Amino acid sequence: MGSVRDGVAGSITRPLSIVQEHVGFVPNLFRPLTLQPKLLESFVALLDAILFKQNCLSRVQKESILFVLAAARSNAYCFAWHFQTLKLFGVPEQRLEQIAADYEQVELAPQNRALLKFVLKLGLAGNSISRQDIGDALLGGLTEESLLDAILTTALSRLLCMAALGLRPNLDFSARTLPVPLRRSWGTPRECGGPYLNSPRFEPQDLAPFAFLQEFLRLIPNVFRAQTLRMDALLAELALTEAILFADSGLTRKQKQSVGLAIATADRNIYWMALFSELLGEVGESANSTLTECAVKLAKATPEFAMEAIEALDSKGFTQDQIIEWAVVVSFACFLNTVQFGLGATPEFSPPNLSSPVLEKIVHLPAEEPRHSVDGTPVDPDTEIVARVQVGDVDAFEELIHRHSRRVYRTLVGILADPDEARDAMQDTFLKAYQHLSGFQRRSKFSTWLLSIASNTGIERLRRRKEVESLDGSGLETEEGFRPRQIQAWEDDPEQLYSRIEMRSLIENGVMRLPAKYRVVVMLRDIEQLSAEDAAAALGLGIPALKARLLRGRLMLREALAPHFMKGAKGAAH
Amino acid sequence: MISCSDFIAEIGNYLDGEVATEVRAKLQEHLAHCQTCTILVDSARKTLRIVTDAGSFDLPETTFRPIADRIMARIRETAK
Repeated sequence: MGSVRDGVAGSITRPLSIVQEHVGFVPNLFRPLTLQPKLLESFVALLDAILFKQNCLSRVQKESILFVLAAARSNAYCFAWHFQTLKLFGVPEQRLEQIAADYEQVELAPQNRALLKFVLKLGLAGNSISRQDIGDALLGGLTEESLLDAILTTALSRLLCMAALGLRPNLDFSARTLPVPLRRSWGTPRECGGPYLNSPRFEPQDLAPFAFLQEFLRLIPNVFRAQTLRMDALLAELALTEAILFADSGLTRKQKQSVGLAIATADRNIYWMALFSELLGEVGESANSTLTECAVKLAKATPEFAMEAIEALDSKGFTQDQIIEWAVVVSFACFLNTVQFGLGATPEFSPPNLSSPVLEKIVHLPAEEPRHSVDGTPVDPDTEIVARVQVGDVDAFEELIHRHSRRVYRTLVGILADPDEARDAMQDTFLKAYQHLSGFQRRSKFSTWLLSIASNTGIERLRRRKEVESLDGSGLETEEGFRPRQIQAWEDDPEQLYSRIEMRSLIENGVMRLPAKYRVVVMLRDIEQLSAEDAAAALGLGIPALKARLLRGRLMLREALAPHFMKGAKGAAH
Repeated sequence: MISCSDFIAEIGNYLDGEVATEVRAKLQEHLAHCQTCTILVDSARKTLRIVTDAGSFDLPETTFRPIADRIMARIRETAK
């Protein structure tokens, strides 16, 4: 397929002229929506109300929220778009890079620091927001009005990032290198403890969309009542709610509300789970469909999952219009969840029973895989497949090979420094894993257990080569005595110096020349991007030892790469 | 003020955003005065960025598929 990217090129309709006026161009994200003019109009009206209209927060503050969140989510499309917009507003490139990498290291006004702290937590871990976070933001210099602006902009950011994944627009500008996301901890999920902000009370007779909701739902949902401080945004949001969720179109109302329920469940948003369940009546077959499963996949927010989801819908015979609509419904459901998390609106109905088979299925496809379950044991996405293999479903093992082969291969290249031998050892690793799977007791994740087998397999081979001491190392890992030799500044954009293939080759050569005990740690942490805990467990190391080796490995790799990336060195290095 | 060795010992945690506020302040105070460590931290951050982004040591489908087939053939043989 691929046609979701396209759309009707040609005349700029009225909504697009609004976008053109305020953005300076029409981002490609809007092109697929031109196939559905009503949807486009409502979508742009929401953007206009939240982003373009002058409110408590300035446009630069709102664009900064969109930019920082796009960076934190590694969303290449939105990152490049908002980078460019902020540049047009006069923010220097270097400052933007610093803010994207870690705003805490940049000199910012206290109010802006409080703003970014709040929106990052709301945008990345909405269900851990509590009254305390609202209090901290108010103490940091924000007002209730500016907080509502921030909540809406954060929700808009989630909508845009999700739409960019689901609609797959071409980049508007050349790709920029995304910063490495910082690992942050956000605290535990909270109950809805709001409403956190004051809002003037409106009744159905005061506001036409409220009258519609009263007639349709027999109540005005608290999440909308909590937004009456920003009437323009509320009206745009209600119009989009009506167009997307309460009307039959390419997808039926039931289908779209089922997608809403799936996204609420994946986000653990009790409020919207309760409301969508009430709307759908009995939670039944309608939720157990390709549409909802693909929605949860899209909400995982990586291009790979998005592609898989779109291809699955395509293969099931959904039309291009339906897929576009589906992507917008998922994006808007994410928007609604984020708004509710920020406002703390309390549910009108009891949430559905999480042990219902349909919801259980959704819960097992979390939007962002949590690292640990409530009781502190690791959450393992492989549990179900491992169980199938353990009861004799041999073919299910192929899925485990598929999921973990690259990780196993990198571990083995890290240890053996020989790609051919690593491929042989990979085969040994999976065969051993299969032989011993009946004894696997889930004290760790399957992937950690598998990597420890890979690690032992690699070490055995080193032992045969009599090189095992190179992995064990000796004495304390310390940076004492380490003196950087390459101390010339690097080019601002080292990625621009070489093609992707050249870059990969430089890095692979640099990594291969590291001593084994550093190489394997760099491989698992920085290339495979395992957490420190998982990498340490796989290699049988303590966290301090792992960190010490990682630091030394990174510094040695920096030394090896420096001649290729220091200012003016490209010619000399070739 | 902390020395360059102290700074280098903490640079890993600093790059991973895992230093306490007061330690971060000391590191930044050092950076404000030390050109060498400023270059070191900037180039280490760029190293991390390019290493993370490059997709090195990938296992293309054409390489992976025959290996997976061999493993599954052996396993099916064992399971009989």
